Amino acid sequence: MKATKTIPQHYLLKQLPHPTALLDLEHALVDASDSWIALFDKNLNDCIGTKIEEFYNKHEKVCGNSLEQCLTQGKTHILRHKKGKGAQEQWLESTFAPWFDEKENLLGTVIHTNDISSEIEKELELERVKTLLKTTSEVALVGSWEFDIATEKLSWCEVTKKIHEVSPDYEPDVNEGIEFYKQGYSRNKISMLFHKALEDGTPFSERLIIVTSKGKEKWVTAAGKPIQKNGKTITLFGTFQDINDQVLTEIKTKENEQLLTTLVDNLPINVFIKDRDSRKILVNKSECDYLGAKSEDLLGKTDFDLYEKDIAQISRDEDLEVMRTHKPMIGIETINVRKDGSATNFLTSKIPLLDIKGKAYGLIGMSMDITHIKQKEDQLQDLINVTAIQNKKLINFAHIVSHNLRSHTANFSMLLEFLINEKEEEEKKRIMKMLSHASDNLLDTLENLNEVVEISTNVNLDKKSLNLNEYIHKVQQNLAGFLVNNKVELINSVPKKLTVLSVPAYLESIILNLVTNAVKYSKPKEIPTISLSAKKQDKNVIFSVSDKGMGIDLNRYGGKIFGMYKTFHNNKDARGLGLYIIKNQAEAMGGNITVSSEVNKGTTFKVYFNEES
Amino acid sequence: MKKVNSIYIIDDDPITVFGIKKMLKTTAICPDIEAFENGKLALDGLRERIKTGAPIPEVIFLDINMPIMDGWEFLEEVVNMNIKEKIIINVITSSIDPADYKKWNHFRLKCLHYLNFKNKPIYKIDDTDLNRVNMVS
Repeated sequence: MKATKTIPQHYLLKQLPHPTALLDLEHALVDASDSWIALFDKNLNDCIGTKIEEFYNKHEKVCGNSLEQCLTQGKTHILRHKKGKGAQEQWLESTFAPWFDEKENLLGTVIHTNDISSEIEKELELERVKTLLKTTSEVALVGSWEFDIATEKLSWCEVTKKIHEVSPDYEPDVNEGIEFYKQGYSRNKISMLFHKALEDGTPFSERLIIVTSKGKEKWVTAAGKPIQKNGKTITLFGTFQDINDQVLTEIKTKENEQLLTTLVDNLPINVFIKDRDSRKILVNKSECDYLGAKSEDLLGKTDFDLYEKDIAQISRDEDLEVMRTHKPMIGIETINVRKDGSATNFLTSKIPLLDIKGKAYGLIGMSMDITHIKQKEDQLQDLINVTAIQNKKLINFAHIVSHNLRSHTANFSMLLEFLINEKEEEEKKRIMKMLSHASDNLLDTLENLNEVVEISTNVNLDKKSLNLNEYIHKVQQNLAGFLVNNKVELINSVPKKLTVLSVPAYLESIILNLVTNAVKYSKPKEIPTISLSAKKQDKNVIFSVSDKGMGIDLNRYGGKIFGMYKTFHNNKDARGLGLYIIKNQAEAMGGNITVSSEVNKGTTFKVYFNEES
Repeated sequence: MKKVNSIYIIDDDPITVFGIKKMLKTTAICPDIEAFENGKLALDGLRERIKTGAPIPEVIFLDINMPIMDGWEFLEEVVNMNIKEKIIINVITSSIDPADYKKWNHFRLKCLHYLNFKNKPIYKIDDTDLNRVNMVS
């Protein structure tokens, strides 16, 4: 009965896939499945009746209750144990449960043993990942938080707590959590985002300011994401990152950038950056104002789009030179002509921009508008020129005065010396006559000089618009006798209504001198022919007086023709003064006199009347 | 009294010409004193003399400021003429412009003739104005 009862039982147990063993009340093995026996590397037939301790003492008892406790009757116990070492390592978990018969009599203990190696491995892996995460979050100052919707429990990780500067055992609730955010924008924003995430599962990530428990303001990135189960949000999970340094750096960078932009923009000089192809990639306000365009309209443009072709080519050549040689071009005077033709003088510098490898990838240009300075400079130069001319005239005049007065006084001196030593009455009379002659000469000279001085010092000239023909007729009448005597043929082709701006006396003097001059230097034995003509040209009226007389060798006398006391022909009437005086008169009125002549062909004088001022 | 064959006075101022002539009367014996109003006339006269083989002047009194051809232009021409005899040329001027003195010095160095520089007024004719040989010997 026992045998028939036992064998099927044994057989049944033997085949159980789940490792199972039966112990009697003495903790001796009654029976076990093959799988169980295999776990302990034994043979079933050898082990029946063996005490259970003999099986387990080869395994390391890692945790759980001691074997003895496990065998305490009437209760279920779990024991974890390990078999083998290294790669062969196998984690097992045995459940000890009481074994009853049909009548609830305790027969012994039932042991179920499971291989939990993979579970343990997973546990270890999880532990490792958790540690890694923790380390990472500590290093990156990224914390996390989790909000369980069902329990309304908010939990913060260590780092999140650290960022809030609260103790590690601090347990926040949602309201407290939100109140850490700075009042105003940050708090309103997080409330809204949190609410929205709860409501319809919208994830968020926002830069906000918190005030820590110690009252310190910090920039953080708070991010949240709903975790759903069966289409229902059960948890909000998020990260919490301290980005204070980063934001402060960013703010600082932005401030610096702002400072630089403000500086560059408001510099009173034109600043631009060009790329390798001389395309503008940055322009400041001054440059925009100068070109009358918006910055976005200028970017990408070259000088060829903005300036006259020739000017643009010069600029491009400069650019290439600077980028080729890497030598900055500093403070060069340049002229820019815009498309509308207006020119501006600049003081331009171009500095090459080099990349890390030392290759030029463009240049920074700076141009200062010096048009006004340039204009002033030109005005100054004009003034210097005028002054220099006047100075030269003055020196010349001083020489004339000195020379002429000296020559007369020298004569006086010499004659007086003769007179003192002279005994003969006749000779004395002769010397006296000479002295009187010298005196007359001196008076003449003084008068001439006076005349010149008057012209040169007459600053406020009263110029009037005068009919040129009227004055020609006037001179003709004054010279009537002279002209008739010399049988002069006067051809006047001056337009009837032409007027010139001139001082009346000067105009008369100029016409008179030029006409008499022409007659005086006519060829002997020929009828003097004098042509008068006039025309308007630019700002001037040009009055020409031509004769067909002896002419003057200008190569020889050109420089002296308008000089004082210069005469070039053997003419008794020549005083060497007329041309000098009318030249001074013309110049005093802002005009000029020029001469062209050929020996034996004739001479033409041209008087330029300045009609502008 | 120094004997001089021929003297030229080139000056457009009749008073100066008169003065020089008067002063020469007491210092030199010269049968041939000729006056010219400007350099051009004097140059023409000189060329005529060379052409006809007449004796050229031993002494010239030369004014600088003259019409037509001034003293400097005359000097330039004379310097370039092939004259073997050394002429004593007295440059006379009322100018006190240092530039004139410089110009004179420039001619003095490049010309074979004897050049003197005299400022007006002149009260008497110096020996050196007429005679250079004595000075050298």
